[in-house]
Amino acid sequence: MLSVKGLRVHYGKVEALKEVSLEVGKGEIVALVGANGAGKTTSLRAISGLKTPTEGEIWFEGRRIDRLPPHAIVRVGIGHVPEGRRLFPHMTVLENLKAGAYLRANGDSVRKDLERAFEQFPVLKARNRQKAGTLSGGEQQMLTIARALMGRPRLLLLDEPSLGLAPLVVASIASIIKEINGEGVSIVLVEQNARMALRLASRAYVLETGRVALEGPSGALLADEHVKKVYLGG
Amino acid sequence: MESQLLIQALVNGIMLGMVYVLVALGLTLVFSIMEVINFAHGEFYMLGGYTAYYLIAQLGLNYFLTIAAAVVVVGFLGWMIEKLLFRPFRKDLLGAFIVSLGLVWVLQSAAMLAFGSLEKSVPSPFRGVLKVLGIYFSLERLIVTVTAIVLVAALYLFIQFSREGRAMRAVAQDSDAAALQGINVARISSLAFAVGAGLAATAGVLIAPLFFVSPFIGDLPIVKAFIIIILGGMGSIPGALLGGLILGLAEGVGSIFLSIPAVNLLGFVIVMAVLLVRPRGLLGHA
Repeated sequence: MLSVKGLRVHYGKVEALKEVSLEVGKGEIVALVGANGAGKTTSLRAISGLKTPTEGEIWFEGRRIDRLPPHAIVRVGIGHVPEGRRLFPHMTVLENLKAGAYLRANGDSVRKDLERAFEQFPVLKARNRQKAGTLSGGEQQMLTIARALMGRPRLLLLDEPSLGLAPLVVASIASIIKEINGEGVSIVLVEQNARMALRLASRAYVLETGRVALEGPSGALLADEHVKKVYLGG
Repeated sequence: MESQLLIQALVNGIMLGMVYVLVALGLTLVFSIMEVINFAHGEFYMLGGYTAYYLIAQLGLNYFLTIAAAVVVVGFLGWMIEKLLFRPFRKDLLGAFIVSLGLVWVLQSAAMLAFGSLEKSVPSPFRGVLKVLGIYFSLERLIVTVTAIVLVAALYLFIQFSREGRAMRAVAQDSDAAALQGINVARISSLAFAVGAGLAATAGVLIAPLFFVSPFIGDLPIVKAFIIIILGGMGSIPGALLGGLILGLAEGVGSIFLSIPAVNLLGFVIVMAVLLVRPRGLLGHA
């Protein structure tokens, strides 16, 4: 479904991605793990068009998308939940969700999806007239995910959804990710919490300084000595 | 007689304040969406004035149709100026500053070549006075004030409740996140420029019958607009409205007691006083 080939990305003169190739199949959860600065976030930003790659190709459902602007990439069916939540803080919860449905013309189906979002995230329903900036960290993360789902993506890029959240909230985010995937949405999950990522994903890529250092089924990576030592704390 | 003078000064102040607000809104809208300041924004007002001169004074067109024409023509010009000149300088305050200074000279010189440097006058479309509770009001000034209030309210409703208005707010708060919702940030920037230019042109049409029209009339309202948005808080629409009313009333009342140069200084004094207490302006947030 998604195929990234030989991606290189520069920030000024700094080469953030040297050579990243990855594949995501339909219905899969694929994890990207790695240290800070390994290129996980940059990979996602290149896929969703926020950062134009210097070299390489990105294909989605048979279409080349690496020269498209971000708003056009949303239209082909890729949703991106960016690092640090990035809500519209002075807009209400409801307005944030409506912004997620910006491209959809059919009011009835948007209304249905709003109801569904409130069913899936009851805390958002209770606070739907509240400004997004006043929500707690966990609630903000749920809202960012719900907002991305309002665009009905077929592939969802999740950047550090567990960052800075309490363990209980992390667990509920994990079950939400499974639930979304169960509804047929493919997922690329970027996580510092490698254990959580490898448990959720069927396959994973380990990034080290802008390259894919390792790849394979999550089970195999969980058992790998190098991965254990560097990413799972021994 | 005393109260007649004071009330007329207040009405005048509110009218001028609302006209300045129309100019300020475009400036603050473009700033919040693109993080650039267009110093040539006053030239949209000037072009509105010439639209009034040619359509009302020369062709005898209806006042409100002239406003509509000015919005369309100058709004389109604003759209093109964003696309061709400002787009590469999004979030580049200094680059955009230099481009906009150049644009001031180009538009003023073009206006001199095209329309001449002599002042033109536009006949008042609404003569007469209204007598309410023994106090006389100029019909024209009331119409200018009401039209401006209606337009400010319309802009507020558009920004608050329409799909594109929501998109504008989204871009202002986080342009990357907005792009990730499928919002075309470049198109929204053009739209903000067009709306802002249209509003400034409307201000130019509204005020043309009261003052003269010349290539340099944009200089004064742009200064007033800056005072207003700094007073009210950069990027805030309610702030611009509040700033406009404060400036208008202060100038209106001040004109009874002070000379014209002193009145023009009044705005700066108020801004300095407010910034000492509230550095982000009255309604600005971080």
